[in-house]
Amino acid sequence: MATPVLEIDGLSKRFGGVAAVDGVSLSLEPGRIYGLIGPNGSGKTTLFNCITGIERRDAGRVMFNGERIDGLKPYEIARKGIGRTFQVIRVFPELSALENLLVVTRGGLADAEARALELLRFVRLEGLRNEYAGNLSYGQQKLVEFVRVLMRDPSLILLDEPAAGVNRTLLNDLLDAVRRLRDEGRTVLLVEHDMKVVMGLCETVFVLDHGEKIAEGEPGVIQTDERVIEAYFGR
Amino acid sequence: MLVVALAVYPTFGTGYGVRAMLQIFMWIALAGSWNLISGLTGYVSFGHVAFFGAGAYTGAILISKASWPWLAAALAGGVGACAVALVIGYPCLRLKGPYFAIAMLGLNEVLRALVSYFEGLTGGGSGLSLPTLHATVPIYYAMAGTAATVTLLTYLIITSRFGLRLMTIREDELAAEAMGIDTARHKLYAFLLSAVGPGIAGALAARDQGYIEPISVFPLATTITMIVMVLFGGKGTVWGPVLGAVVLFVSQEFVWARFPYLHQLLFGAIIVAVVLLMPRGVLGLLQVKYRLPRTI
Amino acid sequence: MNIAITPAMVGQVVISGILAGALYAMVALGLALIYGVMRVINIAHGPLLMLGAYTTFFLYSALGLNPYLSVPATMLVLFLVGVGLQRTLVFRVVDAPELSSLLLTFGVSIALVNLAQLAFTSDLRAVEYLTGSFPLGPFAVSKTRLVAFLFAAGVTALAFLFLQRTRLGKAIRATSQHREVAMVCGIDVQRVHLITFGLATALAAAGGALLAVIVAIQPEMGQIWTFKSFLVIVLGGAGNYPGALLGGMLLGLIEQGASLFLTTQLSEVVAYVLLVVVLLVRPTGLLGGRQT
Repeated sequence: MATPVLEIDGLSKRFGGVAAVDGVSLSLEPGRIYGLIGPNGSGKTTLFNCITGIERRDAGRVMFNGERIDGLKPYEIARKGIGRTFQVIRVFPELSALENLLVVTRGGLADAEARALELLRFVRLEGLRNEYAGNLSYGQQKLVEFVRVLMRDPSLILLDEPAAGVNRTLLNDLLDAVRRLRDEGRTVLLVEHDMKVVMGLCETVFVLDHGEKIAEGEPGVIQTDERVIEAYFGR
Repeated sequence: MLVVALAVYPTFGTGYGVRAMLQIFMWIALAGSWNLISGLTGYVSFGHVAFFGAGAYTGAILISKASWPWLAAALAGGVGACAVALVIGYPCLRLKGPYFAIAMLGLNEVLRALVSYFEGLTGGGSGLSLPTLHATVPIYYAMAGTAATVTLLTYLIITSRFGLRLMTIREDELAAEAMGIDTARHKLYAFLLSAVGPGIAGALAARDQGYIEPISVFPLATTITMIVMVLFGGKGTVWGPVLGAVVLFVSQEFVWARFPYLHQLLFGAIIVAVVLLMPRGVLGLLQVKYRLPRTI
Repeated sequence: MNIAITPAMVGQVVISGILAGALYAMVALGLALIYGVMRVINIAHGPLLMLGAYTTFFLYSALGLNPYLSVPATMLVLFLVGVGLQRTLVFRVVDAPELSSLLLTFGVSIALVNLAQLAFTSDLRAVEYLTGSFPLGPFAVSKTRLVAFLFAAGVTALAFLFLQRTRLGKAIRATSQHREVAMVCGIDVQRVHLITFGLATALAAAGGALLAVIVAIQPEMGQIWTFKSFLVIVLGGAGNYPGALLGGMLLGLIEQGASLFLTTQLSEVVAYVLLVVVLLVRPTGLLGGRQT
């Protein structure tokens, strides 16, 4: 078995008296698409925040390509090769679409510009490259945020509800893009509420409930799992 | 054309005219510097005059106690201000906005107290006199050079990825971090750069006036004026601070100098009005309305 | 600086520190409330305290009202001023980026100070009421300071009682813990903001009223209080209201302690260094951040 891209071991995060993430362990292998599902408030976004260093974990370990990354600062983790999007769009509104992509790069400007234009073309936003990101439509901002992640060429990509609020045509493009990223050997972990998307895209699904991982497996198997049904539909 | 006119102005201008121009250059340097930290990163510095004062005292001490030439002392003033910025910025910029803003609010008082305390070096409350020197014209050029350098630096920063990264801190600091931008380091760099101009300007002003005391180089009013100039002209733009400095200095000089408190009251009102009604300032508004490039 | 420090001097420091600390705690609680509920740092907090001092002064000099009786009156007047400010200006920047609210309240602060300069001139004013001190064992306790302490302790206790026991107080605490949830629970958040700003301003005004009897009144007396109140919040942990009490006491004790060794001017430097050091070592304050 290849070294996992990401290996989480007993990760916990508490807010006051509430455990938002409670002893979660999971392991991601390279070149696969993973789903993370669970009812609202089950700790999915907090888990993302702990992986990317935005929240400080209380206990547990996070290994990225065999290297410990918990305790690093968010920018250090990003530079190691983990990219993410946010549940609520976080483009830089008063930077142009192009600047949004350029700003995260280092090294030669000409190369960066070429790559940024290529990515904007890929999501059909080339014509709007000089528009302030804040003036773009919701869907367009989502695309800018998505390709901004790719500028750093990450090996692990965390997507927080990529399908929410996106129209059908755009959604299919987005899903194709995610598959293409997988085919390039990258690993994708996505939080999603749209079960059709999760079932159609993900190869393995993790289910969180009240901060605990209650199930893990292929989408078809997960759908029939007692505990998962209970978590979603109450008891 | 304008440059030539400003360069030859001292040969025919009146003493008052040269002095007024010198003041305008000083305000351009000060406002432009405030813009570098607060306009670009959104971290509000409420005590930027502290760097002006630190530079003034560094320069004045070197001139009067160590007999440095004034130009070298002016550069040392920039270095001195930068050192103060490092000591304050390193702890305070690691945290989010309000901590920094309030720390800067107190910095001024603290420097003033320290200057008054170390009487042996600074003359304490009774101030520090510099040896007589008639150098208004050379200081005019030095101040013009400082203003030009600050403006050029702003241009270079705003058109670079470094400048864009500073703006991401203003736009969404957390997203910037998650995208791999070392925000703490960038804030510190911007802060250090923003202290140099006021430091040099302070040392030059001290040389020009020939006498400094704690009250004259650490007035809160100076910080207020810088802020008003930048907000009015357009924060985060290259030419906004220049526009603000010229317009407000001229109106201050010819209209409001006779009503000091009313004039400060008006500045307070301008800040409130700009924040509520025209948050981008004049140039920022034009920039958005006519889709002008960042380089204005 | 070779001063022998006697136990009596230490006792005096502790007494003066606690007396001053209660005043700091009360005023800082106001700033903490606004920050907790709206995430706005009110730079005009100190200048509002200054207006409180003037209100007491004029009630005393023009109407002959006993300065201590005027504390509630002054609080009421400034409560209304606070509500007015919130209603006309501050509400517009509650959800705006931090830059906007900081600059806005900074602008208000400048306007207030200069308005006071214009209206009241920069002459020093004083309310001469209680003077002198009385002996307490080996210590001398200033009468005005002691009364100020009692008032501050009382007002602060009432404020906490209000926050803990009343519906409105609970709504304020709920809003400061989670605004969206408070909204969903049917709390009128706008109204909570109005009351919070008014209450906070009244707390600052009480500080001003009590100081009016202790120090000289002038338009620029307030600014340092914005800074000190913030320092108190940082010491106690931002968003942690009981922390303001601890922070206030600490600041009082540290300042008084420092005055044993240093001039008054330098003891302000001590407060500043304290701020920077606390930020470096414990960014969330001594009691930690917001509590549930």
